[in-house]
Amino acid sequence: MGFPLLSLIIFTPAAGAAVLMFLRSDEAARWTALGVTMLDLALCVAMLASFDTDTHQMQFTESRPWVPALGITYALGVDGISALFVFLTALLGWVCVLASWVAIERSVKEFMVSLLVMQALMLGVFCALDLFMFYVFWEAMLIPMYLIIGVWGGNGRVYAAIKFFLYTLAGSLLFLIGVIVLYLQGGKTFDILALTAQDLPFPVQSFLFFAFLVAFAVKVPMVPVHTWLPDAHVQAPTAGSIILAGVLLKMGAYGFLRFSLPMLPEASVHYSTLMLALSALAIVYGGLLALAQDDLKKLVAYSSISHMGFVTLGIFALNFRGLEGAILQMFNHGVTTGALFLFVGLIYERTHTRSIADYGGLMKVAPVYTVFLALFTLSSMALPGTNSFVGELLVLSGGFAANLAVGAAAVFGALLGAAYLLGMYRNVALGPASVGARFKIRDVNGREMTAILPLALFVLWVGLYPKPFLNIIDASVKHLLAQVHSKGSGQ
Amino acid sequence: MTEAALFESILASLPEIVVVTGACVLLILGQFVPKGQAYFLVCASIAIVLIAVLGTLMLANEVRPAYAGMFIVDRFATFFKLLFYIATVLTFLLSPKYADIEGIQSSEYYVLLLLALSGMMIMASATDLLSIYVGLELMVLCTYVLTGFLRQQRRSNEAALKYVILGAVSTGIFLYGVSLIYGLTGTTQLDAVAAAVTGDPLDPGLLLAVVFIVAGLVFKVGAVPFHMWLPDVYEGAPMTITAFMSAGPKAAGFAVILRVFLNPLVASSHVWIIVAVIAVATMALGSFVALVQDNFKRLLAYSSIAHAGFALFGVVAGGADGIASVMLYLLIYAFMTLGIFATVIMMRNGDFSGEIIEDYTGFAKLHPALALLMLLYLFSLAGIPPTAGFFAKFYVLVALVERGFVMLAVIAVLLSAVAAYFYIRIVMVIYMREPERAFDPALTPLVRATLALTAAATIGIGLFPAWFLRLAQQSVFGG
Repeated sequence: MGFPLLSLIIFTPAAGAAVLMFLRSDEAARWTALGVTMLDLALCVAMLASFDTDTHQMQFTESRPWVPALGITYALGVDGISALFVFLTALLGWVCVLASWVAIERSVKEFMVSLLVMQALMLGVFCALDLFMFYVFWEAMLIPMYLIIGVWGGNGRVYAAIKFFLYTLAGSLLFLIGVIVLYLQGGKTFDILALTAQDLPFPVQSFLFFAFLVAFAVKVPMVPVHTWLPDAHVQAPTAGSIILAGVLLKMGAYGFLRFSLPMLPEASVHYSTLMLALSALAIVYGGLLALAQDDLKKLVAYSSISHMGFVTLGIFALNFRGLEGAILQMFNHGVTTGALFLFVGLIYERTHTRSIADYGGLMKVAPVYTVFLALFTLSSMALPGTNSFVGELLVLSGGFAANLAVGAAAVFGALLGAAYLLGMYRNVALGPASVGARFKIRDVNGREMTAILPLALFVLWVGLYPKPFLNIIDASVKHLLAQVHSKGSGQ
Repeated sequence: MTEAALFESILASLPEIVVVTGACVLLILGQFVPKGQAYFLVCASIAIVLIAVLGTLMLANEVRPAYAGMFIVDRFATFFKLLFYIATVLTFLLSPKYADIEGIQSSEYYVLLLLALSGMMIMASATDLLSIYVGLELMVLCTYVLTGFLRQQRRSNEAALKYVILGAVSTGIFLYGVSLIYGLTGTTQLDAVAAAVTGDPLDPGLLLAVVFIVAGLVFKVGAVPFHMWLPDVYEGAPMTITAFMSAGPKAAGFAVILRVFLNPLVASSHVWIIVAVIAVATMALGSFVALVQDNFKRLLAYSSIAHAGFALFGVVAGGADGIASVMLYLLIYAFMTLGIFATVIMMRNGDFSGEIIEDYTGFAKLHPALALLMLLYLFSLAGIPPTAGFFAKFYVLVALVERGFVMLAVIAVLLSAVAAYFYIRIVMVIYMREPERAFDPALTPLVRATLALTAAATIGIGLFPAWFLRLAQQSVFGG
């Protein structure tokens, strides 16, 4: 066992949170949080730099006994599937601190503590190689997220926070039963790799598949359990929305990739049509809802549902392009939607309205803002040259190979995406400059630019040269696919 | 009984003897202590408990049957006795300031707590239905008096009266069950009953006896349908006594339930079906009724009903893991319930009662550290990781699923999702509203010590459960 890099990555924010509790001034809290997240990001870059792209094995593994009597270990590791998300979490953590710099006015210290704790837990979820540990991290996230939405959110924050909490909790508790059943079936171990290696009888797989589905579908969220998302997004502070859209939603999809597919291959193959149909439903339904929104945040929130539909579609296409596209698209969605929420937050700080009807002609007063907004809007509708194009294309080609009707629905959803996003952009940025008369609007400043630029960089980098990113996930996806098809072909 | 056996028996019951003798000495000494010298009484009481702890630990190395099969010292009893010591000592720590504020000045308060402790200790060690009865009565008689200790307050008197009447009825039912058992098997000793019972599992007389005993015992832990007394008593009793009752006597009731249900009768009857129904009903009632409570004490009363229901699921599971899971659950529950009660007790200062949930509006703004502690206890009660409350629930669920009761486990988790709502509602009041008034918590060093200890346990057992888990697993009887 070498240097515990992953432990360091997870516990740096946690330690930072502990230090923050003893600080007195708001300014010190902000700078400390920024320093901690930057350090964490640097550690993640170091991790990616020495990541071996040729193997599907877990890397940087650590293992220590935790509760030996129940076969629980403290086990960490990353492979091609999780490495990107560890990096994404750290990147967005840093962006979140910048986004909350002035947006959070009261209890700054407590907010930064929640944010850092949240980051530590999210990193833990992606690194955990022990099912019990995964569950602890997964569930513990509810506490800081509940506070972030409920304490620092908008006017309807309490309702939104409680709804978020109860939805997610109800989903996760069934997952917990699934975890325990899996533990007992798998010879009393929580080791994810050992559980992946075994064969379960089909009825057990089916039961577990649905127990897991409830938890993951709530997190993704898939229609019809998506209703917590618009409330939570609209009420959450900007940083909360970025975390929700950027990282939390990915966890459901990550759960499918890490547990449902490799551990329950037969059930995954058997129910893949159902999952494809649900995904197509989410794509079209989310798109239609987004089309009808006047609130900027709600629009981005519903677009998230639609975009996450692409991700689940790619996953349950169960072919190479679909899976690879899904994982890349998860990363892209984190970057792009995170950026869009950041942009909504930036403009909201200035005008205190999110209604699209209140805006118009922003181009004239804030040119830099609108240029970058254009970039991220185009990225969100998957224009060639941006990151989502690569991901969505892969997903679509995988989707068509799996099911023609679902592929067609997805294309229709992509068209809807173009409609609501372009409509939004036209109403906000173009047209007569009605907005400058009513609000004093300044363009983005240096601090905001620091948060925007890295995200813009990834939009173009993945869009123009996706190879390094695909390289990271390649070996693991191939291995995952081999697992699914060698075991699941019995169906 | 030979002299040697008598000596062995006295040795085995030495901790009980120490506590009872200490209580009697304190009763006399208390008359000479001037008013307002509560600290002397606290120190003396804690010293007595510490001597008993020492005795218990020294006797823990081997199994010691005593008094001709009525009493036993084994790891199971030792585990529960340590749990009772913790609950009692923490109650002592919380008491002086609160007693001062409420105007309780008599030394009998401490004496009665010690006597209740001795009753619980006898319950943990009892292996005969009659010695169980003696311990049970000793404990509940003391809690009857303690419940009515706020003599000037109408609701304290009312609670005590209600408790006495219902408690007496339930004891009568229990005794009737015992007499039936004696009539059918000719013995009241648990092992002998087990040996006599194995022959015919469906003897209707025996079944009736079991039902009566179940009813009597379930009353003590406040499970449905014998829970009616609990909210009123919790609300009316002095808060320190409420805290004590929700940790100590409840655990004592479970100790007896484990001994009685899982020793002789489980193999021969379908008693687990009765317990399963009771568990589901208890948890459902506790969780749903707590949703509409505005009074903090009543809410915690219903929450304690719900937790009793969850622990009963562990009894249903049975087996070594089931027993260990109940024991661990009770230990963890004792810490978190005493912690949350400590925060409520601390709020009681001057004219401010701190009993209504709305009283805590915006508490986090003015006292962030105390609010964080409440957050910790509440999320632990709700069973969210990484707190100890999660691990307690997790282990019970493992035991349940291991026995094949997957549906019961699903019901249990769904009901705990309902229960989570009223805990996070309190968090919401504390954190998400603006303060309307200044708070003046009565934070004495002793209260601080209680909070520190319970908080350390709540987070510590959650993060490092291995040692406590092993302790519980090794303390299971018969193993």
